[in-house]
Amino acid sequence: MSRADRVFTIMLGLALASSAILLALLLTLAPRVEQLASRGAEDTADVVAALVLLLAVCGISLGVATLFRQLTATAMLIRRLVARKIALPSTVLAAATGLELDGRIDVVSDERPFSFCYWFLRPRICLSTALVERLDADELRAVLHHERYHLRQRDPLRQIVARYFAAGLYVVPVVDELLAFHTLQKEIEADQEAVRASGDVRSLASALYKLLPDADDVSLGLLVPVSSLSVTEARIDQLIARRPLSMGLSPLSVVLSGGALIAAAVLVAFKGGASVAFETLPPLYAVPGLLVGPASLLFAAAVDGGLHQLRPLTQRLFNLST
Amino acid sequence: MADARDNPGVSRPDLRRLRRPEKAEEKFLGPLETEVMVRLWKRRSATVRDIVEDLAKTRELAYTTVMTIMVRLHEKGLLERTREGKTYVYRPSHTRDEHRARLSRDLVRGLVAEFGDAALAAFSAELDTVDSAHRAALRRLAQKDAREPR
Repeated sequence: MSRADRVFTIMLGLALASSAILLALLLTLAPRVEQLASRGAEDTADVVAALVLLLAVCGISLGVATLFRQLTATAMLIRRLVARKIALPSTVLAAATGLELDGRIDVVSDERPFSFCYWFLRPRICLSTALVERLDADELRAVLHHERYHLRQRDPLRQIVARYFAAGLYVVPVVDELLAFHTLQKEIEADQEAVRASGDVRSLASALYKLLPDADDVSLGLLVPVSSLSVTEARIDQLIARRPLSMGLSPLSVVLSGGALIAAAVLVAFKGGASVAFETLPPLYAVPGLLVGPASLLFAAAVDGGLHQLRPLTQRLFNLST
Repeated sequence: MADARDNPGVSRPDLRRLRRPEKAEEKFLGPLETEVMVRLWKRRSATVRDIVEDLAKTRELAYTTVMTIMVRLHEKGLLERTREGKTYVYRPSHTRDEHRARLSRDLVRGLVAEFGDAALAAFSAELDTVDSAHRAALRRLAQKDAREPR
Protein backbone atom coordinates (compact mmCIF):
# COMPACT_ATOMS: atom_id res chain seq x y z
CA MET A 1 0.00 0.00 0.00
CA SER A 2 1.51 3.32 -1.02
CA ARG A 3 1.64 6.34 1.23
CA ALA A 4 -1.07 8.10 -0.79
CA ASP A 5 -3.28 5.00 -0.37
CA ARG A 6 -2.74 5.02 3.37
CA VAL A 7 -3.64 8.71 3.56
CA PHE A 8 -6.74 8.03 1.46
CA THR A 9 -7.79 5.16 3.74
CA ILE A 10 -7.27 7.30 6.85
CA MET A 11 -9.22 10.14 5.28
CA LEU A 12 -12.08 7.84 4.25
CA GLY A 13 -12.15 6.19 7.69
CA LEU A 14 -12.18 9.54 9.44
CA ALA A 15 -14.82 10.85 7.04
CA LEU A 16 -17.12 7.84 7.62
CA ALA A 17 -16.67 7.95 11.42
CA SER A 18 -17.30 11.72 11.46
CA SER A 19 -20.33 11.30 9.22
CA ALA A 20 -21.75 8.67 11.58
CA ILE A 21 -21.34 10.94 14.65
CA LEU A 22 -22.74 14.00 12.89
CA LEU A 23 -25.62 12.02 11.42
CA ALA A 24 -26.45 10.70 14.91
CA LEU A 25 -26.47 14.30 16.14
CA LEU A 26 -28.73 15.36 13.29
CA LEU A 27 -31.16 12.52 14.01
CA THR A 28 -31.14 13.38 17.73
CA LEU A 29 -32.00 17.01 17.06
CA ALA A 30 -34.20 16.70 13.96
CA PRO A 31 -37.43 15.92 15.95
CA ARG A 32 -37.11 19.37 17.51
CA VAL A 33 -37.41 21.18 14.18
CA GLU A 34 -41.20 21.33 14.29
CA GLN A 35 -41.18 22.59 17.86
CA LEU A 36 -38.52 25.22 17.06
CA ALA A 37 -40.44 26.37 13.99
CA SER A 38 -43.72 26.75 15.87
CA ARG A 39 -42.60 28.46 19.07
CA GLY A 40 -39.02 29.59 18.46
CA ALA A 41 -36.03 29.00 20.75
CA GLU A 42 -37.10 29.19 24.39
CA ASP A 43 -34.00 28.11 26.28
CA THR A 44 -30.27 27.44 25.79
CA ALA A 45 -30.94 23.87 24.62
CA ASP A 46 -33.21 25.21 21.88
CA VAL A 47 -30.62 27.76 20.72
CA VAL A 48 -27.96 25.03 20.59
CA ALA A 49 -30.29 22.73 18.65
CA ALA A 50 -31.12 25.48 16.14
CA LEU A 51 -27.43 26.33 15.67
CA VAL A 52 -26.39 22.71 15.15
CA LEU A 53 -29.24 22.13 12.67
CA LEU A 54 -28.14 25.22 10.75
CA LEU A 55 -24.55 23.92 10.59
CA ALA A 56 -25.85 20.56 9.39
CA VAL A 57 -27.90 22.17 6.61
CA CYS A 58 -24.77 24.10 5.53
CA GLY A 59 -22.72 20.87 5.48
CA ILE A 60 -25.26 18.91 3.47
CA SER A 61 -25.65 21.79 1.01
CA LEU A 62 -21.87 22.21 0.64
CA GLY A 63 -21.37 18.49 0.01
CA VAL A 64 -24.17 18.21 -2.54
CA ALA A 65 -23.15 21.48 -4.25
CA THR A 66 -19.52 20.31 -4.51
CA LEU A 67 -20.57 16.98 -5.98
CA PHE A 68 -22.92 18.64 -8.46
CA ARG A 69 -20.36 21.30 -9.44
CA GLN A 70 -17.65 18.72 -10.03
CA LEU A 71 -19.88 16.42 -12.07
CA THR A 72 -21.26 19.18 -14.30
CA ALA A 73 -17.84 20.85 -14.74
CA THR A 74 -16.26 17.51 -15.68
CA ALA A 75 -19.06 16.56 -18.07
CA MET A 76 -19.02 19.96 -19.78
CA LEU A 77 -15.23 20.04 -20.09
CA ILE A 78 -15.11 16.55 -21.55
CA ARG A 79 -17.96 17.29 -23.96
CA ARG A 80 -16.20 20.42 -25.22
CA LEU A 81 -12.89 18.62 -25.60
CA VAL A 82 -14.25 15.44 -27.16
CA ALA A 83 -15.77 17.59 -29.90
CA ARG A 84 -12.20 18.48 -30.86
CA LYS A 85 -10.88 14.92 -30.72
CA ILE A 86 -8.55 13.85 -33.50
CA ALA A 87 -7.06 10.50 -34.47
CA LEU A 88 -3.96 9.58 -32.47
CA PRO A 89 -0.84 11.12 -34.02
CA SER A 90 1.93 8.66 -34.78
CA THR A 91 4.14 10.27 -32.11
CA VAL A 92 1.56 9.41 -29.43
CA LEU A 93 1.09 5.88 -30.80
CA ALA A 94 4.86 5.38 -30.67
CA ALA A 95 5.20 6.84 -27.16
CA ALA A 96 2.35 4.64 -25.86
CA THR A 97 3.80 1.39 -27.24
CA GLY A 98 3.81 -1.31 -24.58
CA LEU A 99 2.04 0.84 -21.96
CA GLU A 100 -1.22 -1.15 -22.22
CA LEU A 101 -3.23 1.98 -22.85
CA ASP A 102 -5.01 0.66 -25.95
CA GLY A 103 -8.07 2.73 -26.72
CA ARG A 104 -7.66 4.73 -23.51
CA ILE A 105 -5.94 7.83 -24.94
CA ASP A 106 -7.63 10.84 -26.54
CA VAL A 107 -5.82 13.65 -28.32
CA VAL A 108 -7.76 16.90 -28.67
CA SER A 109 -6.92 19.86 -30.85
CA ASP A 110 -6.07 22.74 -28.50
CA GLU A 111 -3.34 25.35 -28.56
CA ARG A 112 -2.86 25.14 -24.79
CA PRO A 113 -0.54 22.38 -23.62
CA PHE A 114 -2.23 20.07 -21.10
CA SER A 115 -2.76 16.44 -20.22
CA PHE A 116 -5.01 14.82 -17.68
CA CYS A 117 -6.72 11.64 -16.64
CA TYR A 118 -10.54 11.71 -16.52
CA TRP A 119 -13.69 9.65 -15.96
CA PHE A 120 -14.42 7.58 -12.96
CA LEU A 121 -14.85 3.82 -13.41
CA ARG A 122 -12.87 3.35 -16.62
CA PRO A 123 -10.63 6.43 -16.77
CA ARG A 124 -9.04 7.76 -19.96
CA ILE A 125 -6.07 10.00 -20.71
CA CYS A 126 -6.50 13.24 -22.61
CA LEU A 127 -3.60 15.07 -24.29
CA SER A 128 -3.75 18.34 -26.21
CA THR A 129 -2.09 18.75 -29.60
CA ALA A 130 -0.03 21.65 -28.19
CA LEU A 131 1.42 19.31 -25.56
CA VAL A 132 2.11 16.57 -28.13
CA GLU A 133 3.90 19.06 -30.38
CA ARG A 134 5.90 20.64 -27.60
CA LEU A 135 7.33 17.43 -26.12
CA ASP A 136 9.80 14.99 -27.65
CA ALA A 137 9.25 11.21 -27.66
CA ASP A 138 10.88 10.53 -24.26
CA GLU A 139 9.08 13.43 -22.58
CA LEU A 140 5.75 12.31 -24.03
CA ARG A 141 6.33 8.79 -22.73
CA ALA A 142 7.18 10.17 -19.27
CA VAL A 143 3.90 12.13 -19.24
CA LEU A 144 2.01 8.99 -20.34
CA HIS A 145 3.64 7.01 -17.51
CA HIS A 146 2.56 9.75 -15.07
CA GLU A 147 -1.02 9.69 -16.37
CA ARG A 148 -1.12 5.89 -16.48
CA TYR A 149 -0.48 5.88 -12.74
CA HIS A 150 -3.54 8.13 -12.22
CA LEU A 151 -5.54 5.94 -14.58
CA ARG A 152 -4.69 2.66 -12.85
CA GLN A 153 -5.40 4.17 -9.44
CA ARG A 154 -8.73 5.65 -10.64
CA ASP A 155 -7.62 8.97 -9.19
CA PRO A 156 -10.45 11.06 -10.66
CA LEU A 157 -12.93 8.89 -8.73
CA ARG A 158 -10.91 9.19 -5.52
CA GLN A 159 -10.71 12.94 -6.09
CA ILE A 160 -14.47 13.46 -6.46
CA VAL A 161 -15.24 11.28 -3.41
CA ALA A 162 -12.60 13.02 -1.30
CA ARG A 163 -13.73 16.50 -2.31
CA TYR A 164 -17.33 15.59 -1.50
CA PHE A 165 -16.42 14.48 2.01
CA ALA A 166 -14.09 17.45 2.58
CA ALA A 167 -16.88 19.89 1.68
CA GLY A 168 -19.70 18.09 3.50
CA LEU A 169 -17.55 17.59 6.61
CA TYR A 170 -16.39 21.19 6.78
CA VAL A 171 -16.79 21.05 10.57
CA VAL A 172 -13.92 18.51 10.59
CA PRO A 173 -11.32 20.68 8.78
CA VAL A 174 -8.62 18.01 9.04
CA VAL A 175 -10.42 16.03 6.28
CA ASP A 176 -9.73 18.91 3.89
CA GLU A 177 -6.06 18.96 4.89
CA LEU A 178 -5.80 15.21 4.34
CA LEU A 179 -7.35 15.73 0.90
CA ALA A 180 -4.73 18.38 0.04
CA PHE A 181 -1.92 16.10 1.19
CA HIS A 182 -3.41 13.14 -0.70
CA THR A 183 -3.62 15.20 -3.93
CA LEU A 184 0.01 16.22 -3.64
CA GLN A 185 1.23 12.75 -2.63
CA LYS A 186 -0.60 11.31 -5.66
CA GLU A 187 1.20 13.69 -8.02
CA ILE A 188 4.51 12.82 -6.42
CA GLU A 189 3.89 9.07 -6.69
CA ALA A 190 2.82 9.48 -10.34
CA ASP A 191 6.06 11.39 -10.95
CA GLN A 192 8.09 8.69 -9.17
CA GLU A 193 6.43 6.03 -11.31
CA ALA A 194 7.32 7.99 -14.47
CA VAL A 195 10.94 8.45 -13.31
CA ARG A 196 11.24 4.75 -12.45
CA ALA A 197 9.84 3.73 -15.83
CA SER A 198 11.98 6.23 -17.78
CA GLY A 199 15.17 5.15 -16.00
CA ASP A 200 16.15 8.72 -15.16
CA VAL A 201 14.59 11.96 -14.02
CA ARG A 202 15.50 13.96 -17.10
CA SER A 203 12.53 13.20 -19.38
CA LEU A 204 9.91 14.03 -16.77
CA ALA A 205 11.76 17.13 -15.52
CA SER A 206 12.17 18.34 -19.06
CA ALA A 207 8.46 17.77 -19.85
CA LEU A 208 7.46 19.63 -16.68
CA TYR A 209 9.83 22.47 -17.53
CA LYS A 210 8.41 22.85 -21.02
CA LEU A 211 4.89 23.15 -19.61
CA LEU A 212 5.58 25.85 -17.03
CA PRO A 213 3.71 29.07 -17.64
CA ASP A 214 5.86 32.03 -18.67
CA ALA A 215 4.75 34.11 -15.73
CA ASP A 216 6.23 32.95 -12.44
CA ASP A 217 3.73 34.72 -10.23
CA VAL A 218 0.60 32.96 -11.37
CA SER A 219 -1.33 31.82 -8.34
CA LEU A 220 -4.97 30.95 -8.70
CA GLY A 221 -5.55 28.67 -5.77
CA LEU A 222 -6.80 25.84 -7.94
CA LEU A 223 -4.39 23.33 -6.53
CA VAL A 224 -4.10 23.41 -2.80
CA PRO A 225 -0.69 24.60 -1.68
CA VAL A 226 1.04 22.68 1.07
CA SER A 227 2.76 25.08 3.46
CA SER A 228 4.15 27.86 1.28
CA LEU A 229 4.95 25.67 -1.72
CA SER A 230 2.68 25.18 -4.69
CA VAL A 231 2.04 21.61 -5.83
CA THR A 232 4.43 21.98 -8.78
CA GLU A 233 7.15 23.46 -6.55
CA ALA A 234 6.75 20.58 -4.11
CA ARG A 235 6.96 18.15 -7.05
CA ILE A 236 10.18 19.80 -8.25
CA ASP A 237 11.63 19.54 -4.74
CA GLN A 238 10.75 15.85 -4.70
CA LEU A 239 12.38 15.27 -8.08
CA ILE A 240 15.57 16.83 -6.74
CA ALA A 241 15.70 15.24 -3.27
CA ARG A 242 13.47 12.21 -2.86
CA ARG A 243 12.72 12.62 0.82
CA PRO A 244 9.31 11.50 2.04
CA LEU A 245 7.06 14.49 2.30
CA SER A 246 6.02 15.45 5.82
CA MET A 247 2.28 15.55 6.28
CA GLY A 248 2.31 18.88 8.13
CA LEU A 249 -1.29 18.99 9.37
CA SER A 250 -2.03 22.30 11.03
CA PRO A 251 -2.38 21.89 14.84
CA LEU A 252 -5.40 24.23 14.80
CA SER A 253 -7.23 21.99 12.33
CA VAL A 254 -6.42 18.87 14.34
CA VAL A 255 -7.59 20.48 17.61
CA LEU A 256 -10.76 21.92 16.03
CA SER A 257 -11.61 18.65 14.30
CA GLY A 258 -11.07 16.60 17.46
CA GLY A 259 -12.99 19.19 19.48
CA ALA A 260 -15.89 19.20 17.01
CA LEU A 261 -16.21 15.40 17.05
CA ILE A 262 -16.04 15.19 20.85
CA ALA A 263 -18.54 18.05 21.10
CA ALA A 264 -20.89 16.27 18.69
CA ALA A 265 -20.55 13.03 20.68
CA VAL A 266 -21.34 14.86 23.96
CA LEU A 267 -24.39 16.51 22.40
CA VAL A 268 -25.61 13.14 21.12
CA ALA A 269 -25.04 11.50 24.53
CA PHE A 270 -27.10 14.12 26.33
CA LYS A 271 -29.59 14.47 23.46
CA GLY A 272 -28.78 18.16 23.13
CA GLY A 273 -29.92 18.81 26.70
CA ALA A 274 -33.13 16.75 26.49
CA SER A 275 -31.87 13.61 28.21
CA VAL A 276 -32.81 12.59 31.74
CA ALA A 277 -29.14 12.48 32.76
CA PHE A 278 -28.75 16.12 31.73
CA GLU A 279 -31.70 17.26 33.84
CA THR A 280 -30.33 15.60 36.98
CA LEU A 281 -27.08 17.62 36.76
CA PRO A 282 -26.84 21.12 38.29
CA PRO A 283 -27.53 23.63 35.47
CA LEU A 284 -24.57 25.78 36.59
CA TYR A 285 -22.21 23.07 35.27
CA ALA A 286 -24.40 21.22 32.79
CA VAL A 287 -25.45 24.16 30.59
CA PRO A 288 -21.96 25.58 29.90
CA GLY A 289 -20.16 22.22 30.05
CA LEU A 290 -22.51 20.01 28.08
CA LEU A 291 -24.38 22.47 25.85
CA VAL A 292 -22.77 25.86 25.29
CA GLY A 293 -19.17 24.57 25.36
CA PRO A 294 -19.66 21.79 22.81
CA ALA A 295 -21.79 24.03 20.60
CA SER A 296 -19.09 26.73 20.65
CA LEU A 297 -16.46 24.16 19.67
CA LEU A 298 -18.61 22.96 16.79
CA PHE A 299 -19.22 26.53 15.70
CA ALA A 300 -15.50 27.45 15.85
CA ALA A 301 -14.61 24.39 13.75
CA ALA A 302 -17.40 25.25 11.31
CA VAL A 303 -16.09 28.81 10.87
CA ASP A 304 -12.53 27.58 10.29
CA GLY A 305 -13.62 24.77 7.93
CA GLY A 306 -16.12 26.99 6.12
CA LEU A 307 -13.44 29.60 5.43
CA HIS A 308 -11.18 26.81 4.18
CA GLN A 309 -13.86 25.63 1.75
CA LEU A 310 -14.53 29.12 0.46
CA ARG A 311 -10.88 30.13 0.09
CA PRO A 312 -10.19 28.62 -3.36
CA LEU A 313 -13.39 30.19 -4.64
CA THR A 314 -12.68 33.68 -3.26
CA GLN A 315 -9.05 33.47 -4.34
CA ARG A 316 -10.10 32.57 -7.86
CA LEU A 317 -12.67 35.38 -8.00
CA PHE A 318 -10.07 37.82 -6.67
CA ASN A 319 -7.53 36.69 -9.25
CA LEU A 320 -9.97 36.83 -12.12
CA SER A 321 -11.01 40.35 -11.18
CA THR A 322 -7.47 41.74 -11.05
CA MET B 1 -2.39 -0.03 -29.66
CA ALA B 2 -5.28 2.29 -30.43
CA ASP B 3 -5.33 3.76 -33.88
CA ALA B 4 -7.56 5.78 -36.15
CA ARG B 5 -10.24 3.03 -35.99
CA ASP B 6 -10.95 4.05 -32.41
CA ASN B 7 -11.97 7.47 -33.56
CA PRO B 8 -14.36 6.83 -36.45
CA GLY B 9 -14.95 9.70 -38.79
CA VAL B 10 -11.68 11.47 -38.15
CA SER B 11 -8.69 11.24 -40.38
CA ARG B 12 -5.12 10.97 -39.24
CA PRO B 13 -3.93 14.54 -38.71
CA ASP B 14 -0.78 16.07 -40.02
CA LEU B 15 0.61 17.70 -36.91
CA ARG B 16 2.70 20.06 -38.98
CA ARG B 17 -0.51 21.53 -40.33
CA LEU B 18 -1.95 22.14 -36.90
CA ARG B 19 -0.89 25.32 -35.17
CA ARG B 20 2.74 25.24 -34.16
CA PRO B 21 3.53 26.25 -30.59
CA GLU B 22 4.37 29.80 -31.51
CA LYS B 23 6.05 32.35 -29.34
CA ALA B 24 3.65 33.30 -26.60
CA GLU B 25 2.80 36.72 -27.97
CA GLU B 26 1.60 35.30 -31.27
CA LYS B 27 -1.14 33.39 -29.51
CA PHE B 28 -3.19 36.48 -28.96
CA LEU B 29 -1.92 38.82 -31.68
CA GLY B 30 -2.32 38.43 -35.41
CA PRO B 31 0.88 37.88 -37.44
CA LEU B 32 0.95 41.52 -38.65
CA GLU B 33 0.27 42.84 -35.17
CA THR B 34 3.14 40.72 -33.87
CA GLU B 35 5.50 42.11 -36.51
CA VAL B 36 4.56 45.67 -35.59
CA MET B 37 4.94 44.99 -31.87
CA VAL B 38 8.32 43.30 -32.33
CA ARG B 39 9.60 46.39 -34.13
CA LEU B 40 8.22 48.72 -31.49
CA TRP B 41 9.80 46.69 -28.71
CA LYS B 42 13.09 46.98 -30.52
CA ARG B 43 12.81 50.72 -31.27
CA ARG B 44 10.99 51.66 -28.04
CA SER B 45 9.12 54.45 -29.84
CA ALA B 46 8.13 55.07 -33.45
CA THR B 47 5.68 56.78 -35.77
CA VAL B 48 3.55 54.90 -38.28
CA ARG B 49 5.92 56.08 -41.02
CA ASP B 50 8.95 54.63 -39.15
CA ILE B 51 7.28 51.22 -38.92
CA VAL B 52 6.17 51.26 -42.57
CA GLU B 53 9.78 51.93 -43.59
CA ASP B 54 11.10 49.32 -41.20
CA LEU B 55 8.69 46.69 -42.52
CA ALA B 56 9.45 47.66 -46.13
CA LYS B 57 12.78 45.81 -45.78
CA THR B 58 10.89 42.51 -45.72
CA ARG B 59 7.40 43.28 -47.02
CA GLU B 60 5.47 46.04 -48.75
CA LEU B 61 2.56 47.29 -46.66
CA ALA B 62 0.32 50.32 -47.28
CA TYR B 63 0.64 53.19 -44.79
CA THR B 64 -3.07 52.94 -43.96
CA THR B 65 -2.78 49.21 -43.21
CA VAL B 66 -0.01 49.79 -40.71
CA MET B 67 -1.85 52.77 -39.23
CA THR B 68 -5.00 50.68 -38.74
CA ILE B 69 -2.97 47.99 -36.98
CA MET B 70 -1.25 50.50 -34.71
CA VAL B 71 -4.51 52.24 -33.82
CA ARG B 72 -5.98 48.83 -32.95
CA LEU B 73 -2.95 47.98 -30.79
CA HIS B 74 -3.40 51.33 -29.06
CA GLU B 75 -7.08 50.53 -28.44
CA LYS B 76 -6.10 47.12 -27.07
CA GLY B 77 -3.85 48.93 -24.58
CA LEU B 78 -0.62 47.50 -26.01
CA LEU B 79 0.63 50.83 -27.33
CA GLU B 80 0.60 54.29 -25.79
CA ARG B 81 0.77 57.34 -28.01
CA THR B 82 1.60 61.03 -27.67
CA ARG B 83 1.06 63.71 -30.25
CA GLU B 84 4.22 65.37 -31.50
CA GLY B 85 3.41 68.08 -33.99
CA LYS B 86 1.09 66.58 -36.56
CA THR B 87 1.87 62.93 -35.95
CA TYR B 88 1.47 60.43 -33.18
CA VAL B 89 4.51 58.76 -31.61
CA TYR B 90 3.74 55.24 -30.34
CA ARG B 91 5.42 53.43 -27.44
CA PRO B 92 4.80 49.88 -26.10
CA SER B 93 2.83 49.93 -22.83
CA HIS B 94 4.77 46.92 -21.53
CA THR B 95 8.14 45.36 -22.22
CA ARG B 96 8.14 42.15 -24.22
CA ASP B 97 8.75 40.06 -21.12
CA GLU B 98 5.93 41.77 -19.24
CA HIS B 99 3.63 41.21 -22.19
CA ARG B 100 4.56 37.52 -22.36
CA ALA B 101 3.96 37.12 -18.63
CA ARG B 102 0.56 38.81 -18.93
CA LEU B 103 -0.40 36.52 -21.80
CA SER B 104 0.71 33.49 -19.87
CA ARG B 105 -1.40 34.58 -16.94
CA ASP B 106 -4.43 35.02 -19.23
CA LEU B 107 -3.83 31.56 -20.67
CA VAL B 108 -3.63 30.03 -17.21
CA ARG B 109 -6.77 31.87 -16.11
CA GLY B 110 -8.57 30.46 -19.14
CA LEU B 111 -7.49 26.96 -18.18
CA VAL B 112 -8.47 27.46 -14.55
CA ALA B 113 -11.89 28.76 -15.54
CA GLU B 114 -12.36 25.68 -17.72
CA PHE B 115 -10.70 23.01 -15.57
CA GLY B 116 -11.19 24.46 -12.09
CA ASP B 117 -14.08 22.41 -10.76
CA ALA B 118 -13.67 19.32 -12.90
CA ALA B 119 -12.69 16.14 -11.10
CA LEU B 120 -9.57 14.97 -12.86
CA ALA B 121 -5.93 14.28 -12.23
CA ALA B 122 -3.89 16.67 -14.34
CA PHE B 123 -0.22 16.90 -15.23
CA SER B 124 -0.87 20.40 -14.10
CA ALA B 125 2.26 22.53 -14.29
CA GLU B 126 0.33 25.06 -16.35
CA LEU B 127 -2.02 25.81 -13.50
CA ASP B 128 0.38 26.49 -10.74
CA THR B 129 2.77 28.95 -9.15
CA VAL B 130 6.44 28.25 -9.76
CA ASP B 131 9.01 30.75 -8.51
CA SER B 132 12.22 31.47 -10.39
CA ALA B 133 14.40 29.36 -8.04
CA HIS B 134 12.30 26.23 -8.68
CA ARG B 135 12.18 27.06 -12.38
CA ALA B 136 16.00 27.18 -12.51
CA ALA B 137 16.32 23.98 -10.45
CA LEU B 138 13.97 22.17 -12.79
CA ARG B 139 15.92 23.35 -15.82
CA ARG B 140 19.14 21.98 -14.32
CA LEU B 141 17.39 18.70 -13.59
CA ALA B 142 16.07 18.53 -17.16
CA GLN B 143 19.64 18.81 -18.41
CA LYS B 144 21.17 16.39 -15.91
CA ASP B 145 22.39 13.12 -17.38
CA ALA B 146 21.80 14.49 -20.87
CA ARG B 147 24.61 13.85 -23.28
CA GLU B 148 24.00 17.17 -24.91
CA PRO B 149 22.71 20.19 -23.02
CA ARG B 150 19.31 21.16 -24.28
